[in-house]
Amino acid sequence: MTKASITVSDLTIRFPVYGADAKSLKKALARAVSVGGALGRHAGVTDVTALANVNLQLKAGDRLGLIGHNGSGKTTLLRALSGAYEPDEGTIDVHGRIAALLDLSLGIDSTATGYENIRLRGRIAGLSTREIDERMDEIAEFTGLGPFLSMPVKTYSAGMQGRLAFAAATALEADVLLMDEWIAVGDAEFQKLAHKRLLKLVERAGILVLATHEAPLLKLYCNKVMKLEGGVASEVMDIRRLDELLAG
Amino acid sequence: MDSATHMLRTGRRGALFQLQMALRDLQNSFARIGLAWSLATHDVGSRYRGSVLGPFWITLSMGLMVLGIGFLYASLFNLALDQFLPYVALGIVFFGVMTGIINEGCDTFVHAASMLSQTSLPMFTFVWRVVFRNLINLAHHLVIVVGMLAFYGQWKVANVPLALLGIFLMLLNASWASLLAGIASARFRDIPQIVISVMQFAIFMTPVFWLPDRFGKHQVFLDFNPFYHLLQSVRAPLLGQTVSGHSYVVLVTMAVVGWLVTFLVFARTRRRIVHYL
Repeated sequence: MTKASITVSDLTIRFPVYGADAKSLKKALARAVSVGGALGRHAGVTDVTALANVNLQLKAGDRLGLIGHNGSGKTTLLRALSGAYEPDEGTIDVHGRIAALLDLSLGIDSTATGYENIRLRGRIAGLSTREIDERMDEIAEFTGLGPFLSMPVKTYSAGMQGRLAFAAATALEADVLLMDEWIAVGDAEFQKLAHKRLLKLVERAGILVLATHEAPLLKLYCNKVMKLEGGVASEVMDIRRLDELLAG
Repeated sequence: MDSATHMLRTGRRGALFQLQMALRDLQNSFARIGLAWSLATHDVGSRYRGSVLGPFWITLSMGLMVLGIGFLYASLFNLALDQFLPYVALGIVFFGVMTGIINEGCDTFVHAASMLSQTSLPMFTFVWRVVFRNLINLAHHLVIVVGMLAFYGQWKVANVPLALLGIFLMLLNASWASLLAGIASARFRDIPQIVISVMQFAIFMTPVFWLPDRFGKHQVFLDFNPFYHLLQSVRAPLLGQTVSGHSYVVLVTMAVVGWLVTFLVFARTRRRIVHYL
């Protein structure tokens, strides 16, 4: 197994946010004709600097908590670490298999059954059909959904969907687990199971990056913490200084 | 989520670097071509889940349409059924593949938004997903095509290789159009309506339901219809007719120029597509 590590240096991510007007070709054309301007520029398109010069180094066994207000760049950083957003400046270097749990609906087809969704997720994560079959029983048991796994996912509650997604994603022996907020899904019993899974991941010398607003969760899972404010990151600090960061 | 154990992303700019990254995307999509196939089979399977005939609804509905249109137009234009039915069956089926790939291309990235925004999966995987999905549909329609030709005694195995070449050229051209439509539709939400209207117009302007020789002296205009050449390269060999060399020149030129332009657009927009969504 490769040793997990994350190295982010001088990461800047800017992206255009397209308003409803900017998404219409008709309006863009009308504007270009009437103003004589270039197509698709200016009106309705706002450039946002989501992350500015972020530096981050994590090694095997690190569990980083990301805190910050809504829109401070936590999710953007997670998406960048997953490989979905490419840097505008700087570099991201991640060693290890990445599993991202940023959005419950990844690969989830709500009309398909739980089993089919596990299969789909497994395929997306790079498992062969046979590898998925081998793990199916274990994943199915972990979800605790029993007979519901043969029913369409659209009949599931949010908590059940969370169980399914978490079970499928963490069954993949990922080295780097990226999670956004929703770890609080599921009932107390599932929380306990999830807790065990995450500890196992840490034992395997994986890396966890978790964005959340809840201090108890951070204290439970993380040994390091970083605060984002308007796309600017603080230093990576020990979790014991969490109260200091929250106060500041 | 990805099977790769190392991911390096840099903020390097420059056209050459972007071109390189676009090529790597293409390579990676071939390395994981099985994923595109899995997604495509899942799509087809889930669309017909719970129905008695399953995906053979595709066959049944197409069969009824071919028969209906075949009998109607044959009597309207006073044509011999044994000539017209196989002709119209081939036309509808293969024009349907083109329409399917290009129209569904509009949703290539829009439908994959949640996957694209948290993985480093190759973009091209989703293009192949659309192509495969339509190939699976085609496979269900082949029953009608072969059946119709065999019923009228026009099925010849010797015609198949040339028809396969035609299908290949058709896929090659439809796939770049599909990708281009996908990028444009992600950026501008009114593109799908335009694409659908164009394809609807095209099916009536192309000899699918009518015979080109009825066009009389206006037949030269067919030369300017790319869909005519695309359809002809598949339909003519199966009907035992010859495809003019001119058609092949048009198709190959269109594939080369189309892919060049599309690939450049892709290289330029690749890292932005996820932000369009």
